[in-house]
Amino acid sequence: MRNTYLWFIQLVTGVLIAVLAGIHTVWMHLDAILGFFGIDVRDSTAWHSMIERSREGIWAGLYIALLAVVLYHGLNGLRNIILELTPSARTERIVTRAIIAFGIVIFAWAAYVPILLLST
Amino acid sequence: MDKQKNEQITFRIQRYNPEKDSQPHFQEFVVTSSRGMTVLDGLIYIKENLDSTLAFRTSCRMAICGSCGMLINSYPHLACHTQIEEFHSNRLTIKPLPNLKIVKDLVVDLTPFFETHKAIKPYILHHDGKEMEKPTAEFAQSPQSLEAFLQFTYCIKCGICISACPTSASDKLFTGPQALAQCYRYCADTRDEGEMERFPVVDTDHGVWHCHLAGACSDACPKGLDPALAIQLLKRRMVSQAIGLGRKEPPARIVPPPAQTKSKVPFPDFTVKGSK
Repeated sequence: MRNTYLWFIQLVTGVLIAVLAGIHTVWMHLDAILGFFGIDVRDSTAWHSMIERSREGIWAGLYIALLAVVLYHGLNGLRNIILELTPSARTERIVTRAIIAFGIVIFAWAAYVPILLLST
Repeated sequence: MDKQKNEQITFRIQRYNPEKDSQPHFQEFVVTSSRGMTVLDGLIYIKENLDSTLAFRTSCRMAICGSCGMLINSYPHLACHTQIEEFHSNRLTIKPLPNLKIVKDLVVDLTPFFETHKAIKPYILHHDGKEMEKPTAEFAQSPQSLEAFLQFTYCIKCGICISACPTSASDKLFTGPQALAQCYRYCADTRDEGEMERFPVVDTDHGVWHCHLAGACSDACPKGLDPALAIQLLKRRMVSQAIGLGRKEPPARIVPPPAQTKSKVPFPDFTVKGSK
């Protein structure tokens, strides 16, 4: 039932993207609305604000989680599109392994910054 | 179209004889049609009077056998079930069903279609093999349980859904709406216990998860089935089973058949004198 689990995770990550990217978008771009509710985002798009946020565990966790779900959802979707072109079994294996490797590299590279900031 | 008034209809038919032709080409025939005439009637007229080499499948001529599926004016139809006058045109373009290899003219190779159908084990699977072979009892199945899958039993295996499916067009290894709908039909049947044998067949890289819910299969089905619904219900069933959630309906009980009762009305044994 491997493909069933992969698809279920695709559904779950889709929902999580809506939630986490929603929080991210609201925080970054709807400062006027947040200000109406008394939340001061302190120039959220500025570099120093981003660095300060990444030092907080909850924000670092949100960014890393958002990165993970977006990578899974996008790369699994890309893999499914490529598989619909019915390549050979060997090509399918190469594509799957390449996508997994690409995802791991990007995750490690992008998650490195908030993890480093958390530890300093 | 008036019953008395006949119209000249041009049938533009794709021809292809693999023994002679390098590629398909079109040939036109003019048929005099009248009210009530189906496309199949036109094809039979052409074969009997104009060109006996025209190849197409036909059998029941009443939309129950599924033989005469073909592309008529760019949409898959059963030729026997399609009136000429519903196109409101005096020109019909007829081609074989797409997404299937052409054998000759309007005849396509349905072998992969039937092989895929066979692969999902389209029969009741029950642990009591002896009872299945030589039944001594009955399954008690409620009307509500039957309603859950009844419409999908009406499939006539015509192949029109496969031809309409955009995923089948791009992914030649896709299981297809017909087999997936039949997989659901048997899994949803409370008499069946073969769910876990069928799921691995459709849980593949080119199985149920490649359905994008285009809905073209349901739109094209000549029997009014909804294969897209069956596929979505199958996906739900598989996810529920994988994550251990969801209510499982109880299997149909096996009950002894009703006892033979004496007739309340005194019918005579034989109505024809002397017969026995």
